Amino acid sequence: MAKKKANNHLLLHTALISFTLLSMYPVFWVLALAFSGQQSVGIIDLPMDPTLMERARAIVPIPEHFSVANFVGVWTEQSFGTWLWNSAVVSLMTTVLGVFLACTAAYAFSRFRFPGRNAGMLTFLVSQMFPGTLMLIPLFIIIVKWLGLGNTYFGLVIVYATTAIPFCVWMLKGYFDTIPVDIEESARIDGASPQTIFFRIILPLATPAIAITALFSFMTAWNEFILASIFMEAESNYTAPVGLRFFVGGFSSQWGYFAAGSVIVSLPVVLLFLYLQKYLISGLTAGSVK
Amino acid sequence: MSPFRWLASSYVLGLGVAVGITLALSAWLFEGAERDQRVQYERRLAQVEANSLAGALASAAPERIAGVLQAWQARHPAHESAILVGGMELLGSTKPEDAAPRRLGREEKPIFDLANLLRAARETNIGEGVVRKKLVNFDGSVKGAYVVTVPYLANNEFAGVLQVRIRQVADKRSAPSSLGGVPLWLPALLVAVALGALFRARSDLRLDLPRLLLFAAFLALTLAYQYQRMAAYDASDLDGARQVANAVREAVLSYGLPPEGAAAPSPWDTDTYLRPLGVVLGDGTLNESAHGALFAEKTRFFERSLWAAEVLGLVMLLAFLFGYMRRLGATLREHADAYAYVTPAMLGMLVLVFFPFLYGITLAFTDTTLFNESLPFAERWIGWDNFVTILGDFNLYERGPEGLIWNYQNFYWTLMVTIVWTLTNVAIGVSLGFILALILNTEDLKGKAIYRVILILPWAIPNYITALVWRGMFHPQFGVINQVLQMFGMAPVAWFDGVVSSFLTGLTTNGWLSFPFMMVVILGALQSIPKDMYEAAEVEGATRWQRLRHITLPLLRPTLIPAIVLSVVWTFNMFNIIFLVSGGEPAGANEILITKAYKIAFENYQYAYAAAYSTVIFVILLVYGVFQTRVTKATESF
Repeated sequence: MAKKKANNHLLLHTALISFTLLSMYPVFWVLALAFSGQQSVGIIDLPMDPTLMERARAIVPIPEHFSVANFVGVWTEQSFGTWLWNSAVVSLMTTVLGVFLACTAAYAFSRFRFPGRNAGMLTFLVSQMFPGTLMLIPLFIIIVKWLGLGNTYFGLVIVYATTAIPFCVWMLKGYFDTIPVDIEESARIDGASPQTIFFRIILPLATPAIAITALFSFMTAWNEFILASIFMEAESNYTAPVGLRFFVGGFSSQWGYFAAGSVIVSLPVVLLFLYLQKYLISGLTAGSVK
Repeated sequence: MSPFRWLASSYVLGLGVAVGITLALSAWLFEGAERDQRVQYERRLAQVEANSLAGALASAAPERIAGVLQAWQARHPAHESAILVGGMELLGSTKPEDAAPRRLGREEKPIFDLANLLRAARETNIGEGVVRKKLVNFDGSVKGAYVVTVPYLANNEFAGVLQVRIRQVADKRSAPSSLGGVPLWLPALLVAVALGALFRARSDLRLDLPRLLLFAAFLALTLAYQYQRMAAYDASDLDGARQVANAVREAVLSYGLPPEGAAAPSPWDTDTYLRPLGVVLGDGTLNESAHGALFAEKTRFFERSLWAAEVLGLVMLLAFLFGYMRRLGATLREHADAYAYVTPAMLGMLVLVFFPFLYGITLAFTDTTLFNESLPFAERWIGWDNFVTILGDFNLYERGPEGLIWNYQNFYWTLMVTIVWTLTNVAIGVSLGFILALILNTEDLKGKAIYRVILILPWAIPNYITALVWRGMFHPQFGVINQVLQMFGMAPVAWFDGVVSSFLTGLTTNGWLSFPFMMVVILGALQSIPKDMYEAAEVEGATRWQRLRHITLPLLRPTLIPAIVLSVVWTFNMFNIIFLVSGGEPAGANEILITKAYKIAFENYQYAYAAAYSTVIFVILLVYGVFQTRVTKATESF
C-alpha cells in the first residue's frame, strides 16, 4: 500500500513539473528577451538554413549574450520612468478610493436592511455585464468634455475606482456576512459608536477580504490601457500599459524594450499577488459559499 | 374652522413645487430651442448668401470674378470676406492683400483639402444617385462669424469652392434660467424632494375636490405658460423665415432671377445637401404653408420634450398630494445610517456607470458618427434603424464556385465565433483547473505550496502583457512556436492568416491565463470538504470514481457555478486577448462581439452603430444571466 502511494506521487510530480515548466515558458521567454540586449522577437539570430541543434537552441529561453542594456535603455532613452510613475500614482489613488467606497457600501449591504437594498445589490451585479465599449464614448464625453478631466490623474482614478466597486462590494459583503453580529452588539452595549464599530472592529476583522479588494482595485488601474489611451492624449501622461503597447503595437517592434518594461511592470503586481495569495482563497470563496 | 383649511396642508406647497419645476424645465427647453433657432436661421441666411454668390460666379466670366466678389462685399456690412478657390489656384478674393489670382500657399492647404472633400462628396452623391454626403461645410471652430464653403460650379462641373465669411449679428445672451451651465430645474427638483420629505400630507388615495382643483390649477398654469412661449417661438420662426426671404429678394435684385424661375423653390435657400427647402420661392416670396409644415416637423421632438416636462411636474404633484414624499422622507430618516454608508459608492456608480450606460443606450437610437456629433439630438434620432441593420442582416454566406464563402462582417458570424470562443475557453479553464486542483489536493504531496505559487503566476501577470508576449511567440517568422514546429520537421504556420489557426492563438493565450483562477477557486472548495466523508465512503466500499461523482462534484457545485458564470461573462467580453493577440485576423473573421464594437467605434467612427452593437451584447449577457439563475435555482434541490 505504502509503496503504491509513493509511485503515484512520483507520477504526479512528473506531471506537475512538466506542466509547470510548460506554463512558465512564456515567463522565461520574456526574461530571455529582456536580458538579451537586442530588440528582435527571436531569442537568437538563426542562420539561413539552421540545423536541428540551432533550432533547439532558438527555443531555449536563455539569451545569447547576457546584457542589461534593455533595462538601461528603457529608462534613459524612453520616457518609461514617467509612464511608470503615472501608473503608480493612478493605481495607488484608485486603491485608496476604491477600497473606501467598497467597504462602506458592502458594510451597509451586509448589516442593514433598508428599502432598495436588494435592488442595489442587483444593479451592482448587472453592471458587471455592461460592455466596456458601450461606456467608452459616454465616459469620454463626461470626463473629458463635461468635467474637463482629460489628461489628469483624477479623471482616470474616479473611473477605475467606480469600475472596481461592484466586484469588490460583492466580495466584501460576503466576507462581512461571515463576521458574527454578536461582536458588534457587545461593542454597542459597551457604548461604541457606529463609526468606532466600523473602523475599529469590522475593518480589522475583514483584513483578508480588504487585502483582496485592494489588490483587485490596484490591478484594475495598473493593467488598464483602453480608457487610459483615450483619456491621456499627451505622451508624457501615458500610463505604463499604454506605453508598453506603444513599443510593439502598430509598426514598431522594439521587443527588447517591451520585454524589459514588462518585467518592471509585472514585478510589483506579481509580488503583491504572491504575498496576498494566502488570502486569495479565503477572500474569493467567502463571497460565494454561504 | 376656515373653509380653506385644506390650503394649509402641503397641497399648495406641492402645487407650487410642481408648477415651479415644470416651468423651469420648460423655460430651459425653450431657451435651448430659441438659441438653436437663432443659429439655424443665421446659418440659413449665410447659406443663401453663399449659394446666390456661387450661382452668380458660376455664370460670370473669369475676368469678372473680382468684380462680383467686390460688389457682394459692398452690398452689406455683415459680408466680411469671400474667397474663390479652384484646384491649386486662388481665383478670387475680396481681400486686396491676397493678390488673386495666384497659386495657393502652403498655409492654405486646409481649403484645398476641403475642396477635395466636397468634390468627393458631390461625386459620391451623383454616382449613387442619392443624396448621402453633405455638400456644404460650416466651420464651427470660428467664433463671431459664419464660415460657409459651397461648391463652385462652372458649366455644371465642379470647378472649386467658394468660402464666404459672414459676421454674426445675434448677441450671445447668456441663458438667464441656468446657473453656470447647470439648468435651474435640477436644484429645484432636489429642493422639492427635500421639502416634500419634511411636510405632511394625508396618505390616502382618494381623489377629492381639493386635489382635483390642484390638478386643474397645475395644468392651467403650466399649459398657459407653454402655449404663450410656443406662440412667441412660432412668431420668431416666421420672422426668421421672412428674413431669409428678404435675403433671397436682395440677391435677386443683384443677380437677377435664378435659372429655375420665380415660381419654383429658390435654389439658394437650401439645406446642407444643397436641396432647396421649398419655403422661399425663386423671386423671394415666402410660401407660408410650406414654412408651417417645416416648422411642425422641426419642432416635433421639442414638443415631446415639453410634454415630458409636464409629466414630470404631474408626477411631483401626485407625490405631494398622496403623501409619497412624506413616506420617502420617513424612510430616509429611519435608515439614515445605511443610506449614509451606501451613498458614496452609489453616487459614483450613478455618475460613472449607470448614467454612461443609459447615455450609451440612447446613443444607439441615433446615427451619431464622429462627423455629426455637434448636431442637435433631435436631428440625429433614427429610432430602431441600427438594431434592424445589425440583427436583420442575414447575409451570412454566399455560395461561390468554391463552396460557401462566409461573410465575416455579419453579426451572426461574430456571435457564433463569440459563443464558440466562450464555450471552449470556459471548458479548458474549468477542466485544467479541476485536474490541477485535484492533484494539488492530494494528501501529503510534497512541495504543494511551491507548485501552487508557480501555477498562480499566469493570473498575476497583467493580461495585456500576456497577450503581447503570446503574440510575439506566435510570430510567423521568428516566433518560438514555429521554431518548435520546424524542429519536428513540420512547416511553419502563418498563424494569423487562417481562421482556425488564428482562433487557436487566442484560445491558447486565454487558456494559459484563465486556468489559475479556476484552480484556486476549486482548490479552496475542495479543502472545505470534510475528510471523514471520503473515509466513510471508502469504508462503504465506494470506488475512487464513485467518490468523485457522488461527494466531490455535488459539494463543488455551489462554488463552481458562480465561478463559471463569472468566467463566462469575463470570457464573452475578453477584449484584451482578441484585440492584442490576433486583432481579429484574418479579415475580421476572429473578431468577437466586443472587439468588433470597439473597431466600429474607433476605426470607423460610427459611434451610434457601435453603441447599438454593444447594447445587443448587453442584452445577450443579461438573458444568459437570468436564464442561468433560473436553471441554477431549479436544480438547487439536487
